Amino acid sequence: MLNISADATGDEIKHAYRQLARQVHPDMQDTQGTAVLFRQVQEAYEVLSDPIKRSAYDRQRVEAGLSPKSIFQWKMQPSRTALAVSMDEQVVYLLFDISAGQSEEVRGRQTLNICLVLDRSTSMQGSRLEQTKASAQRMIDSLSDDDTLSIVTFSDKAEVVWPSQPLTDPIKTKAKVSAIQASGGTEILQGLLAGLAEIEKRRTQYAVNHLILLTDGQTYGDEERCLSAAEEAARHRIGISAMGIGEDWNDALLDAIASRCGGVSQYIASTGEIQHFLRERLQGLSSVYADNVRLNLRPVNGTRLKSAFKLSPYIERIPLETETLSLGSLQSDSAVSGIIELVVGPHEAGLHRLAQMELVGNIPSRQLYDAMLRQDVTFTFDPNINPNTPAPSHILSALAKVTIFQMQEGALKALEKGDVAGATHRLETMATRLLDMGEHQLARAALLEAGRLARSGNLSPAGRKAIKYGTRSLILASPKER
Amino acid sequence: MIECPSCGHLHRPGTLFCSECGVYLLTGGPLRTEPLPESDLPTTRADPWESGEKAGTSEAQHETMLVIVPPSGRQLTLPAEGEAVIGRLDATRGVFPNIDLTPEGGLEGGVSRRHARIHKQKAQYFIEDLGSANGTFLNGQRLTPYLPHPLHDGDELQLGRVRIQVAVH
Repeated sequence: MLNISADATGDEIKHAYRQLARQVHPDMQDTQGTAVLFRQVQEAYEVLSDPIKRSAYDRQRVEAGLSPKSIFQWKMQPSRTALAVSMDEQVVYLLFDISAGQSEEVRGRQTLNICLVLDRSTSMQGSRLEQTKASAQRMIDSLSDDDTLSIVTFSDKAEVVWPSQPLTDPIKTKAKVSAIQASGGTEILQGLLAGLAEIEKRRTQYAVNHLILLTDGQTYGDEERCLSAAEEAARHRIGISAMGIGEDWNDALLDAIASRCGGVSQYIASTGEIQHFLRERLQGLSSVYADNVRLNLRPVNGTRLKSAFKLSPYIERIPLETETLSLGSLQSDSAVSGIIELVVGPHEAGLHRLAQMELVGNIPSRQLYDAMLRQDVTFTFDPNINPNTPAPSHILSALAKVTIFQMQEGALKALEKGDVAGATHRLETMATRLLDMGEHQLARAALLEAGRLARSGNLSPAGRKAIKYGTRSLILASPKER
Repeated sequence: MIECPSCGHLHRPGTLFCSECGVYLLTGGPLRTEPLPESDLPTTRADPWESGEKAGTSEAQHETMLVIVPPSGRQLTLPAEGEAVIGRLDATRGVFPNIDLTPEGGLEGGVSRRHARIHKQKAQYFIEDLGSANGTFLNGQRLTPYLPHPLHDGDELQLGRVRIQVAVH
């Protein structure tokens, strides 16, 4: 309010207050709202000038994630600073941004307990398997000797190529990888179960326990059991990341597995990208600051949570079955951000609380479990606001991309229901928006698929994946927001 | 409820984008800046040679702050980095000018999405038209596009039909 830093001295506070009070004093300026502003400035000064109130205020900031001393840095920004006094329901968006707490203690690299689960079905034969093997060997080189590694391959059944153990003899491990041969079908469940069992053998609280699944095919009949295995893994704090190579794998299944365990899913269009993704994933895992990060959101006073999307590392819908929004893990070098859409009921003029929020997570390096911060979502309801005041530009820019992602979701959902005309129409309007944004390549892919859909009633597997993974990555396209 | 100007779908107030067709709801989508009739705009042109150096050096070298005041009376301060694009926000196209004139009637007033740029060089501020549809005017004279002109305290800018007062503190 007074525009001063958190560690300002008494004199600085007094100076800032006097200057601001002169500017906003109702006698000096006769515009609407200065009286309210003046009162707020006075209140801020009263709190900050009293040492007891000041220390309570500082403590509150730490607990809300607003102070550098907090365990998480937690920022929230609304799309509107004040809401209208109205009998209708209205919508407001909240952009949240969570990053690691700053601390003097050096945060070293996390110890890893990793299991690579590799598809060795017949379809992997040739460059897919060769690239996968080469990438796995590079990965072995980049692990340190505190890390634990296991390697499992699967086709119709699973084999443990390298049982879970610390990496003491990388040359021997790499030789085992070289010997992997392709043959047989694709039964993901077998691979998952064997991989999870290997991780479980050496699972510790202080390591990052993670399974990386690489596959190029569909699994038949065991999808449900794959998902329950993923849920079981999440309960044991084991993460799963899934990478699909080529066009024929089941994107819905792999996305669901990864999102249940706070992992990531990746679409690998060409085998040359395998190594890049594997390296990136490993870097991400070794810089994990907190895992099982979640927001508990309790709407009050007639507020409803309508939708929530994660914006990093890519756009992802957060399921709203409960009031807990799972955000996965948080790296020490990058933030987790997202956007929440709230529907607000009618309120009288004045300040009202719309929701209570808790940010919860485990921070292994500080040995903190279910560490929690709290913030309230409060808004001023003002009878005189201009409904056309634009929202902050980074909220608009994020929402524009989330909207495209939702149109893509809508098109796939319509297609699932057999509504080919509806899906085609959605893809076409989506292409128009993409063209407006300058995303020509993705727009062309969407138009091409819309044409195919209208003719044949089906999407091509490659086109479906290009659109799905292209729209969710729109958020990466403009680095200026990060 | 508010109606999407593009597809007619109804949304709750405060919704920013149409979920059906993706259009930004506050300005009603990617609206074009229409050229204004000639008679609405001044006709004299600014001297294109009065740009830069000679005016710039005479100014004092202390820290200054530029504030511009559009007709609504809200005061807009130039961002700290000393550069700002003035225009009209169009979220659907990803155009986010530093100073958005939509609330001052930017669309009807013929303001382009990226209309003009103000930047600072050695304590001197400059205004540059970015090839806008209806032109930028400094004290009633039309500026040659892409040629920066020095700005002084008390100058009047006009973007399309929207007039802006300039104050240098």
